[in-house]
Amino acid sequence: MTNTVTWARVKSPWVLHFNSGACNGCDIEIVALLTPKYDVERFGIKLEPSPRHADVLLVTGCVTQQCAERLKRVYDQMPQPKFVVAIGACACSGGVFEGNYNVVGGVDKILPVNAYIPGCAPRPEAIIDGVVKLLNALNPPKPKKQPKREKQPQFPKEEAKPIVAQPEVLVNL
Amino acid sequence: MPKSEIDIISVIESKLKDKVQIQLGHLGTAAIKTSNGLHRDVLKAILEVDEKTGITAITGLDLGANIGLLYHTHTAKGFFGICTEVPKGNPKIQTIIDIIPGAALHELEVADLLGVVFEGNPSPRHFLLSEYWPQGVYPLRKDVKANEVKLNPASAEENKPPATGRLVKLIIGPQHPALLEPEKFSVTVDGEIVTKVEPRLGYVHRGIEKAAESRTYVQDIYLVERVCGICNPCHAYGFVGAVEKILKTDVPPRAKYLRVIALELNRLHSHLLTLGHAGLEIGYETLFQYFWRDREPIMDLIELTSGNRVYGSLMTIGGVRRDLKESDAPKIKTVLADLRKKVPFYKKLYQDERSIRARMQDVGVLSREDAIKLCVVGPVARASGYDIDVRKDFPYEVYGEIPFKEIGYTTGDTWARMNVRMDEIEESINIIEYALDHLPTGPIRVQTSRYVPEGEAVCCVEAPRGELFYYVKGNGTVSPERVKIRTPTFANIPSFLQTAIGENIADIPPNFVSLDPCFSCTDR
Amino acid sequence: MIDFVLILRILIFPGFTFILLLTLFCDWVERKLEARLQNRVGPMVAGPGGILQPLADFIKLLTKEDIEPRDAKKTVFKFAPLIAFTIMVFAMCFLPIDGASVLSTTGFNGDLIVILAFSTIASFLLFLSGWASGNPYGTISSARVLTQFLGYDIPLFLLALTPAFIAGSLSMFVIAQSQTIPYILLAPWAFVLFMIAMQAELEKDPFDVPDAESELVGGLETEYTGAKLAFLHLTRDVQIVFGAALVVELFLGGPYGPVFFGLPAFWYSLWFVLKVLAIVIVTEYITTLFARLRIDQVLSANWRIILPAAILSLMLTVAIVTWVYPLV
Repeated sequence: MTNTVTWARVKSPWVLHFNSGACNGCDIEIVALLTPKYDVERFGIKLEPSPRHADVLLVTGCVTQQCAERLKRVYDQMPQPKFVVAIGACACSGGVFEGNYNVVGGVDKILPVNAYIPGCAPRPEAIIDGVVKLLNALNPPKPKKQPKREKQPQFPKEEAKPIVAQPEVLVNL
Repeated sequence: MPKSEIDIISVIESKLKDKVQIQLGHLGTAAIKTSNGLHRDVLKAILEVDEKTGITAITGLDLGANIGLLYHTHTAKGFFGICTEVPKGNPKIQTIIDIIPGAALHELEVADLLGVVFEGNPSPRHFLLSEYWPQGVYPLRKDVKANEVKLNPASAEENKPPATGRLVKLIIGPQHPALLEPEKFSVTVDGEIVTKVEPRLGYVHRGIEKAAESRTYVQDIYLVERVCGICNPCHAYGFVGAVEKILKTDVPPRAKYLRVIALELNRLHSHLLTLGHAGLEIGYETLFQYFWRDREPIMDLIELTSGNRVYGSLMTIGGVRRDLKESDAPKIKTVLADLRKKVPFYKKLYQDERSIRARMQDVGVLSREDAIKLCVVGPVARASGYDIDVRKDFPYEVYGEIPFKEIGYTTGDTWARMNVRMDEIEESINIIEYALDHLPTGPIRVQTSRYVPEGEAVCCVEAPRGELFYYVKGNGTVSPERVKIRTPTFANIPSFLQTAIGENIADIPPNFVSLDPCFSCTDR
Repeated sequence: MIDFVLILRILIFPGFTFILLLTLFCDWVERKLEARLQNRVGPMVAGPGGILQPLADFIKLLTKEDIEPRDAKKTVFKFAPLIAFTIMVFAMCFLPIDGASVLSTTGFNGDLIVILAFSTIASFLLFLSGWASGNPYGTISSARVLTQFLGYDIPLFLLALTPAFIAGSLSMFVIAQSQTIPYILLAPWAFVLFMIAMQAELEKDPFDVPDAESELVGGLETEYTGAKLAFLHLTRDVQIVFGAALVVELFLGGPYGPVFFGLPAFWYSLWFVLKVLAIVIVTEYITTLFARLRIDQVLSANWRIILPAAILSLMLTVAIVTWVYPLV
């Protein structure tokens, strides 16, 4: 029974997108996921309008002071089980705006984050990769059976020499 | 018209002889220095000569003991800066919203960030800053450090109870599927008709202008680019252009052409984005998918020229960072030829499709007089018959040499604005192909000094959404003294507040998207 | 004596399970068709070709946490979706699916009116569920739902009377059976108008107003989570299948078609499913190809165009059937 439930949750993650003070780059890349070139509906991902319908909260943006409380409220409105994905360098840690007077910096100061997708702006392929990795972590695929192999002969390990750049030194002693 | 032949400067000189100091060639066409209170007379004099006068921006400067105020005014013939000062101890100045109503939001911003009191334009609560911000602390003043400000706890002031009686207060945002960005609009509705719209901006305010003062000029290019993810080359070019004017560098011609190609590619992808987004707002998902499918090859081109889909950072002080290879030009031309073939299909769709016309025609009508009074810019202005385009009025880079048409419609409704953008797509394709054909050889960059001397300069760019304005003041160090950004959406929002009244709730999304709002630009 | 055949018919085939599976299958067909028309692929990962996607959505929603807003009216909020779903499935049970209805009877005279009434009650319960959520978006959206479906019910009823008049009876079974020539050929104007009115009843584009995401966030579903949301979605989907089945029964000859070999019941159900799929595909085409109209445009289209056209169509059908067809 739990297997079916986990299967259903992994095959149908509904997504809510919240912009907590971003420059729009990451948001456009998220909306571009729905378009024919990337088509994220293959994974069953639907962009939902209401927090009550969604499972995964995609947060972009360095969290500004005003958005911090609203972000927490939107997260509280979502029903369990829920996940948070921080998309973009700003959501991971504040990005370029770290230290500004109106910026909290990083979603993990407000919410528990399950996946970080860095980049400025992360390519849609990177976002899909992050989401698929999150889904696989929830429902790990069974490892394929490896065919039995003969034992390979062991070569003695060479000591790894550190690589040091030796510039041409012209010295007049 | 004989009136526009009269030189504005000679008119001001004759009317207000001793009270002003005029510096030609500074801050645009001329900088007019006057004392507190006389800025209204100068503005009235300019308005009498040219009816197409509008306020581009109001910059506030922290000059130690005084606060300097620069009123950047654009007219059909020139760009002027009217400078006054107010003492910090008593920062009061008379408002100009009775002369030019479009200056209201600019004054609110200066009041919020610098603490200037505009008599006649009260600001009851914070405009851009959050409700937790303590009163009396003005972030753009030099003595306020970013990490030393103590915030107030949450107050109940923002959560007003909904309107009672027949009127229902509908709150759109901050989390809303129609808006990609968080902004709050409190819409008071009577049944289905809108009676009032009150915006609350500042959700995306990241304090970029203050942060720019503590980074070097080259670091600032990357910071200022990230004001907006859609029109980022325009922001980069605005900043770089202003700094180059202070340094008085000569940018090589090949770099100018490459900059024009980057700016026009950006315009292409932004217009396709808006046209698709408008489809989403009127419930036409198929149109949204088609437009964004056609936007992807343009993103590939942007990646080809600058190295990244979104933040290419192609512009730098003194030129561009990357060169265009010989083998890239045919690739660009093939993609543009494909897009050119698709444009007639979309145009026919907009002309013939009944459901689009039913939703978009006669929605959000803005008349030409209102457009001039509210100082709107960009396709919104050009759709109302107010023909301003920075590329034609004050040509920058090589736009003076490239022939292209300026698009204009007269009806001023949502449908006209979308058509303006559709026609501009074709013109942009023409500009890029001309630039590729006439690309000169030579260096792409000149070395500039890290230390920018004392001086100030302005730079206007025609971003996809309208006129983008940059003011940079250098003080001889590696960091700028003040960077002021005035984005096109900031100028267009008052028009939305006016055109939404009297329409249905269902008309708000298409009306809103036709402005092409970019709140990260507005709040900075 | 417990009639096992009857219980099997009600629960499995052609009753509850069959209707549920048909609904989920039609949902998958709709999503794939919409994706294909938009140059995309649609669900691919859940099951082969994504066919288990609606089932995964349903199971996932059943296992989510149930949240009840403080301002909601508790009883209506809790039970409206479930009752609406039950009524829709109950209405489907009157349709002859495999040659006879679920109760293996030939229906009774007047069950056309009864099932149309049930569909109206289900829509009314949807309206109530939005009204009871205590959310301004829900209130405005449910007001739109009420105005729209009450308005379009009138032409729908009038147009449903056309096949009844041609067949001479108000019983679904008789109407379906007496279609030696399907009524789509005898009264094509009524078919076209019925499809348009059905599109408005089902709240699909271009009459998608109550579900307008860009203005009203989630519409009347905004505050619903978990199992209640699952049943709201299912009610919507069963309404679509019900509408398609009604069109099939009234205009396309019901489940009756050529029988090649073996059990006629098998062939009748196959023809029924194929015809329902055809109508679902046509409605999904119309949904994808149009933008969404405003509420006042939808209502003016109803009172100014569809209703007069429905009255004219009924008069035309009466005239033609009484005077023209007996000559043919």
